[in-house]
Amino acid sequence: MQDNVVAERLDAVVSRLSERAVDGYYNPYQLFKWPDSIPEDAPWMSEELLSCYGTAIWKELSTDERIRLSHWEAVNFYGLNVHLIRDLMLEVLRRIHTSRYPSVSEFFHHFLGEENEHMWFFAQFCNRYGHKLYEDKRLPFEATEWSDPNVRDLVVFCRILVAEEIVDFLNTWMSKDGNLPPIVRQINAIHHQDESRHIGFGRQMVTTLWAAASDAIDDAQREALQSYLGRYVLFTLHALYNPAVYRDAGVPDPYGMRSRLLADPERSAFHYRVTAKVSDFLDRINLVPRDSLQL
Amino acid sequence: MKSDEITGIQVILDFLRSKNPKLGEDLDPDLDLIDSRIIDSLAFVEFIFVLEAASGREISVDNVSVDDFRTIRSISRRFLDGAD
Repeated sequence: MQDNVVAERLDAVVSRLSERAVDGYYNPYQLFKWPDSIPEDAPWMSEELLSCYGTAIWKELSTDERIRLSHWEAVNFYGLNVHLIRDLMLEVLRRIHTSRYPSVSEFFHHFLGEENEHMWFFAQFCNRYGHKLYEDKRLPFEATEWSDPNVRDLVVFCRILVAEEIVDFLNTWMSKDGNLPPIVRQINAIHHQDESRHIGFGRQMVTTLWAAASDAIDDAQREALQSYLGRYVLFTLHALYNPAVYRDAGVPDPYGMRSRLLADPERSAFHYRVTAKVSDFLDRINLVPRDSLQL
Repeated sequence: MKSDEITGIQVILDFLRSKNPKLGEDLDPDLDLIDSRIIDSLAFVEFIFVLEAASGREISVDNVSVDDFRTIRSISRRFLDGAD
């Protein structure tokens, strides 16, 4: 990037985070003791995090139906992690050891290694206990709207940060939920532990890129950027509402259920809670005003 | 044109107009929805679900390409059993 601004400002942070990654290194292939099965009569995802919690639909469901839904929503959540990680790894791979990020590449190695391992254990959960991964319904579109390299990279690292912060809210919650099977709590706890470093990096990266990009764009571009990022936050939240999950859970009208849930004010309130930290951050650095978010 | 297809197209038009309130009543069936940014990457998944609901079939994105979604005509042909 111009004048290696990113390298200079990120040096201290990535150096510290790289050391912590080395000190905290673990072998995920040995760490987890995967049980052959996990209880079918217990939830696999915290009920407070289920996509219909707090709504009229939730009240209509029996205990058995709620538990069945929690199984498929868990498989969806970890599958979503797999898809998000694949995307972010591709973006970081495009940037490692390039001239724009000479001092960050060392950390990118740790980042990619850890994300690869996260993707492995999330996929393990889906395939062992759900016997499937839900399909990623996105198609790659040409991202032509951001011509300035600083803005383009800002969008990429902002997307990564938003996804990580939303996922981390759920991970933190489930790592402490005694109603969940131990392997579920462990997966969530381990992911939260690593993601705290990745989020620390992401915030520094976004702050630095925004400082470099903000002078290069005019008001119209700034407005377009804010609008896009606000929509991306909502887009990520909406991935938690998967009609295929509802179909597997026995819901007769999965698309209708999704529409009803997304229109429910209770779900909007949940979205604001899940994104409170990242919204505060984006507002604080004057990138996305909090009151512009429509969740 | 079959009645199911007409209903499906209407659902799609309603969705596109809900996302783009400035769209007029007459939408050219050959207008490129992607290049004109009527559908972008963030609206795409939502659009897939609308199409699945309208067609009654799940769509695997492994078996489609962006070009299948470029125009009302290509969408109709690919997902709603519409002829050219």
